[in-house]
This record gives sequence, structure tokens and C-alpha cells, in this order.
Amino acid sequence: MIRGTVVGQVWATRKARGLDGQTLLLVAACDAEGRATGRLVVASDTLDARAGEDVTVAFGSGARNVLRAGPENRDLLCDAAIAAIVEGAG
Amino acid sequence: MFIGRVAGTVWSTVKWPQAQGLKLLLVRPYRLGDLPPGAAPVAGAAASEPTDDLVVCADTLDAGPGDDVIVAFGHAARVALSEKLPPGSKPMVPIDAAVVGVVDRVEIPR
Repeated sequence: MIRGTVVGQVWATRKARGLDGQTLLLVAACDAEGRATGRLVVASDTLDARAGEDVTVAFGSGARNVLRAGPENRDLLCDAAIAAIVEGAG
Repeated sequence: MFIGRVAGTVWSTVKWPQAQGLKLLLVRPYRLGDLPPGAAPVAGAAASEPTDDLVVCADTLDAGPGDDVIVAFGHAARVALSEKLPPGSKPMVPIDAAVVGVVDRVEIPR
């Protein structure tokens, strides 16, 4: 997982069917000191995260477990998802 | 996933047979400094050219050079490719990145 800050939202009309209904947020990855590294990630959001909030983003099967937990979720089109809204880190 | 701009295409003759017919694009990811605050289409004058290294992606959405796209990695990329196959069949292809959306708009609040 990475820690990052939500910076915005992405819209696409022409897309894979598996993305239908997903909210896609732009997350700027942070380094250990909380500074933006410049890397941008597009992550599915189920937690209603807002721009400016710090979040953790899970990748791979961990991301699919955010959308639908369990072994039968390999049909999901998701490789990154917001797993938590961060309140503090140190 | 990431967003980037299609910078070109890749083609090859010698390849894994399962990859026949797959269109491959070169996509340059956007970095934080490439996108200015404010609601704007990415592929306009408002965004500067992306600056990151190129990624090779399969494309089933007919994207082309100059388009801004969403790219998924790993299993999600193959799920997107499987949408073009008969139901139940798996894309047994050596692909780990695919275009899953063509970006209309990116909104970055000020």
C-alpha cells in the first residue's frame, strides 16, 4: 500500500465495462515525511474521500478486497483502491 | 491505475501467439506537477506534457496518439481484455498493462 493525498477526480465515458459505477480519484503519493513524490495514482473510491484528505491506497488483490471482499472477486476490474482515510501518521 | 497521454504505438511480428491482434500503445504517465489546479480537460492547453517514463499498454478502446487515458496494471488489465472475448474465456496473454478508459475530464480543486 501507499500513503497519499487525494488531489482530484477523473471522468471517462469511453471505458471498459468493468469500470462502470466506479468513482476514480487521483491520489498523489507521499514519501516518509508526507511530501508528495510526484507520482500520481488513479484509485477506486468507496469511502467518499475528498480532495485534500490523506488516504492509503491498496493495490492488486488487496484493492479488489476493498470493492468486494472474498475469494470470488477476480472478475472485478480494479488494481488500486482507497483502503482508509488517514487521520494521523508519525 | 494511472493517467497518461498516448505518445505512440508499438508493433511487432515476432511475439507470443496469444498476443496476435493486440494493439500496443506507448503511454507517458502524468506526474503531479503536469496537471494544474482547476477543472479542465486533460488533453487541452491547460495541462503540460507528461514527463514520466513510457509504459507499453494493450488497447481495446481504440485510443490514439494525443489521447489521455486511464491504464490498469496486472490482473485488472487482463480483466479489461477479457471483456472483448467470449464469456467465460480467459485472456491467456503476456500483458500486464491495458488502457481501461479514455479521459474526458480531470477535476483538481484549487
